[in-house]
Amino acid sequence: MIYLNKIFIMVTRLGMFGLVLSLLLSLMSCKSTLEVEGNFPTPVINIIPLNVGIIYEEQFRSYRYIEKNEERNEWDIGIGKSQVKLFNTVLSAMFKSVVVTKNEKLATNISADVPSVATDTSIDLFFKPKVEEFQYNVPDETNINMFEVWIKYNMKVYDDQGQLIADWIQTAYGKTPTAFFKSQKRALNEAMIIALRDIGAALSLRFIHIPEINNWLKQKHSISQIRKHYKKNKSQTELITVQLANNSLNFGYL
Amino acid sequence: MNFKQTTQLIYFLLYVWLISGCTTVIVDEVKHQASTLNAKDSIVVIGRRSGSDYETEPELISCIGSVLGQGENGINVIPENDFVDRLYPWFEARTAPTHIKGLHRLFSYDKVSEIIDDYDVHYIVWVDGNTEKTRGSGSISCGISPAGVACFGFGTWDDNAEYEASIWDYRTRTFVGKISSVAEGTSYMPAIVVPIPIIAPVQADACKAMGNQLKSFFQTD
Repeated sequence: MIYLNKIFIMVTRLGMFGLVLSLLLSLMSCKSTLEVEGNFPTPVINIIPLNVGIIYEEQFRSYRYIEKNEERNEWDIGIGKSQVKLFNTVLSAMFKSVVVTKNEKLATNISADVPSVATDTSIDLFFKPKVEEFQYNVPDETNINMFEVWIKYNMKVYDDQGQLIADWIQTAYGKTPTAFFKSQKRALNEAMIIALRDIGAALSLRFIHIPEINNWLKQKHSISQIRKHYKKNKSQTELITVQLANNSLNFGYL
Repeated sequence: MNFKQTTQLIYFLLYVWLISGCTTVIVDEVKHQASTLNAKDSIVVIGRRSGSDYETEPELISCIGSVLGQGENGINVIPENDFVDRLYPWFEARTAPTHIKGLHRLFSYDKVSEIIDDYDVHYIVWVDGNTEKTRGSGSISCGISPAGVACFGFGTWDDNAEYEASIWDYRTRTFVGKISSVAEGTSYMPAIVVPIPIIAPVQADACKAMGNQLKSFFQTD
């Protein structure tokens, strides 16, 4: 009976040991999946009086970063939904009206299809963001106790005829310090949200200062002023005078 | 007093010594002009997030806000998140004004002025700094056996918290003064089967010192 008890205790302890060991091993080999979630405030900015169509490619909508470097921890980070949410919020506050186009063909071959869509919805501009590169750092990899995220975006803006107006790179950066009891997922999510807010801030404050866009806006404003004026005074001489005067105009939203 | 009671007393005294004697705080203040707050006035405390290798911790900012709001002479403090969200994108890490002159740029946007006026903001307090580990030594090793998990060893580390608050008068668009709070402390972790962390509340002490000094800054001329 005593032997049976001893055997029972030994088996129980070995079982517990095996359980703890397998739990530790499973934790060590665990893949971390993060679906970035957060809310973005509406920017307080002057509205640009334009109707804009946003083109989100499927790759952008469902963008995921999967870590392939075997020396790093395995991370699978889903950014697509959050970045679409951010761009919808920011662009809706920037422009008079915003339409999200779901036309896949249009998204992949904008020049061919924009004119027909633009005629239907009287869109002035098309905006197409794309993720060029994504990088992150966790505290174990750097000397600083910080989770860091970089996202390189390529922004393209087309006119209603599908002609490329501007094509520029905008980087987003977000960091968050480590904290006691804060999980890696939560910290990385926070850094992601800060990075997305950063791109929203840069886009909303710098959009009209992109030289190509600024020139296009000035031209568009000039033309609309000329058209208005031309309707009133059909004199060709006056039209030229107005055109020259408008070259030095400064608009309320610029 | 028998051996057991003596041992318990030694442990207790050691514990009290470790807990009470491990943090020192130094507070400095520079005031360029009078600062008064009416009952209706509010202040906002915002963390600087533009440093490349550190970031002012959000929990430190909310801690200072709590200290300022406490007591009968508590000050109306607008929560950092509410303020920054409502004024997005003007107070983000890369867009926030770094000098008082930068505030003038914001006034060109009527909506921004309206929101700040709506909050009755009189002062904006910018807090810059962080808490970091400056030294660590000792070692703790843990082992798993059929009997369970056990740790043995001793670890110790120093923390240093350095914060500086710049106070701007939003209404007169002037720089009012600066307060700095520096705290240092040593934490210990003896492990005899179970690790016992004895943490020096360095950041919390720096926060309390900064909060109380800010309180007196706004209430005495």
